[in-house]
Amino acid sequence: MLVKKSFHSLTGKLILAIGTLMIAGSLLFWLFLFKHQEKELIQSSVKYGHSFVDYVRKSTRSGMLTVQGRLIQQTVEDVGVTEGIMNLRIFNSKGKISYSSDRSNIGTVLDKNSELCIRCHGISGPVKDTPNWTISKGKQYRTLNIVQPIYNEPSCYNASCHIHSKEQRVLGLVEADFSLELLDKSIMQQGIAITVYVVAFSFAISIALCVILWNFVSTPLALLSLGMKKVTAGDLDYKVAVIRKDEIGELANTFNIMNGELKKAKNELLEWGNTLEKKVQEKTEAIHRAQQQLVHSEKLASLGRMAAGVAHEINSPLTGIVTFGHLLQKKFPQGTEEREDLDVIIDQANRCANIIKGLLGFARASAADKALTNINDVLHSSLNIVRNKADFFNLIIATDLDPALKRVRADAPQLQQVFLNMIVNAADACEGKGTITIRTSNVTGNKQDFVEIEFRDTGCGIRDEDIEKIFEPFFTTKPVGKGTGLGLAVSHGIIQEHGGKITISTKIGEGTSFFIWLPAWKEEA
Amino acid sequence: MSRGRILVVDDEDIIRMSCSRTLAPEGYEIKMAVNGLEGLELLGKESFDLVLTDLKMPNMDGIEVLRTIKEKWPDTDVVIVTGYQTVETAVKAIKLGAYDYLEKPFTPDVLIETVSDVFAARSKKEKPS
Repeated sequence: MLVKKSFHSLTGKLILAIGTLMIAGSLLFWLFLFKHQEKELIQSSVKYGHSFVDYVRKSTRSGMLTVQGRLIQQTVEDVGVTEGIMNLRIFNSKGKISYSSDRSNIGTVLDKNSELCIRCHGISGPVKDTPNWTISKGKQYRTLNIVQPIYNEPSCYNASCHIHSKEQRVLGLVEADFSLELLDKSIMQQGIAITVYVVAFSFAISIALCVILWNFVSTPLALLSLGMKKVTAGDLDYKVAVIRKDEIGELANTFNIMNGELKKAKNELLEWGNTLEKKVQEKTEAIHRAQQQLVHSEKLASLGRMAAGVAHEINSPLTGIVTFGHLLQKKFPQGTEEREDLDVIIDQANRCANIIKGLLGFARASAADKALTNINDVLHSSLNIVRNKADFFNLIIATDLDPALKRVRADAPQLQQVFLNMIVNAADACEGKGTITIRTSNVTGNKQDFVEIEFRDTGCGIRDEDIEKIFEPFFTTKPVGKGTGLGLAVSHGIIQEHGGKITISTKIGEGTSFFIWLPAWKEEA
Repeated sequence: MSRGRILVVDDEDIIRMSCSRTLAPEGYEIKMAVNGLEGLELLGKESFDLVLTDLKMPNMDGIEVLRTIKEKWPDTDVVIVTGYQTVETAVKAIKLGAYDYLEKPFTPDVLIETVSDVFAARSKKEKPS
């Protein structure tokens, strides 16, 4: 169950406290009421007793005045059988029972020390304000004892019998014992009834309290407690279902709001954490990329410097070889073996010269003479150069040039060199047959406008391990003598000098796309 | 009578020899200097129609040689020989008064053609006067 039924619980404590107060309060109230009622009852009994004794005194008066002892005794006996009367006795002034409802008592003289005598006369002298009634405990029920003195009156001492003298104050007394059985029974019954009522009342109140506390305090508190446990365990979606307008309802509402705020805060924190992680990752990747690019271009730049140095040193010896080769050529007529050997030397020296030229092109890419250029025009003139070459006879060259292509600031001859290089490479990759597609378009990257030129071939593709190296000088996959391995290195240098970049997308056996991006010129409106 | 006097200024022996062996049979009188200072010294003693000078040399480079020649002997033509031609240096050289520039490695035919061009221009310039 939701609520622990122990006295440690709030409900238990409340029930215990209220129950105890209820029982104690009821008991005190009923006890007071009971005592009051008992007093009233006893007083009315005393009153009745006095009336009765007075009645006896008055009804025996004439008998006494006329000294008719038998009549008095008869009256006493007749009256003495009234219900509730236990004893009815008339004493003379000497303490002798003169008349009694029980005849056997007549003539008995009370001892001076008896309770009845002491009540008025005391032990050492007369007692003032003598109570004229007492209650004593009997075997089962209490007994009410009423005593009325018979005072001397003129009619007494003037009577013809002259029994009593004028000086005598009290002539005797009438005493009656009343059984309080009815009263005691009634009181006992009332006591039982009151006890039953108090117990039943307390029980009913306790149950009612239980129900009220259960419904209005325990259950909602248990729900709140459950909610708090759930929240502690991490369930921030939990809502306490207490729909009330009292303080507990308000508490539940506040709790739900707090839980919502907690969830919001947690989510914000989580999101923040995630975003941060993502941002860090993105930045790390960007830095990594930039670093790689820097290393790559630094590598290419130092290679360029080295190539330029080598080229410069080799140019002079090459000049000598070519010059003296030619001088010797003149000394050997055509057809001689020496002349043929010399031709080979000069051919190879010229090949070296070409390589050196390429190397210098790679190193010299920085010196561009830039002007506003329409890339489509440069592509057209490049295509015109290659179209009539035998290598391109079996190739389909498709173009998809954007007529609205933006212009770029570029060195047109250098760009043509790059484009020719791309086309020749594409043709080589196709090995004589296939399709080369050249496409241009305006693109936007990194908040900047670019012109994109794509060279797509249906050739053999580039192996993953080669992609990293293709822009390095002297890297070639072509047969010896066919490629110098400088074309892409030079192209890369030229495009980089123009503030652009070359990217590759390739798949082995399906073909390769080279994308050249050049910054578009901002045409003034 | 020679077709003209040519001074070759180059720190590299093979270039001096290549020029000399190519141009001498064509009827030019060739003198050689191993650096710019020696070349200018020689120019102070004798007069030349054409100076072929390398661009990169120790002590004094080709541009300095060209500037001095154009200052002191404006009638002497200069052709810059370079293994490291760039648009900037070429433009600079032409602005300073060089007639032409020759890219290394060159063949004898190219050298002869370039030198012939210079002398053809010189004779055109001299005739009207």
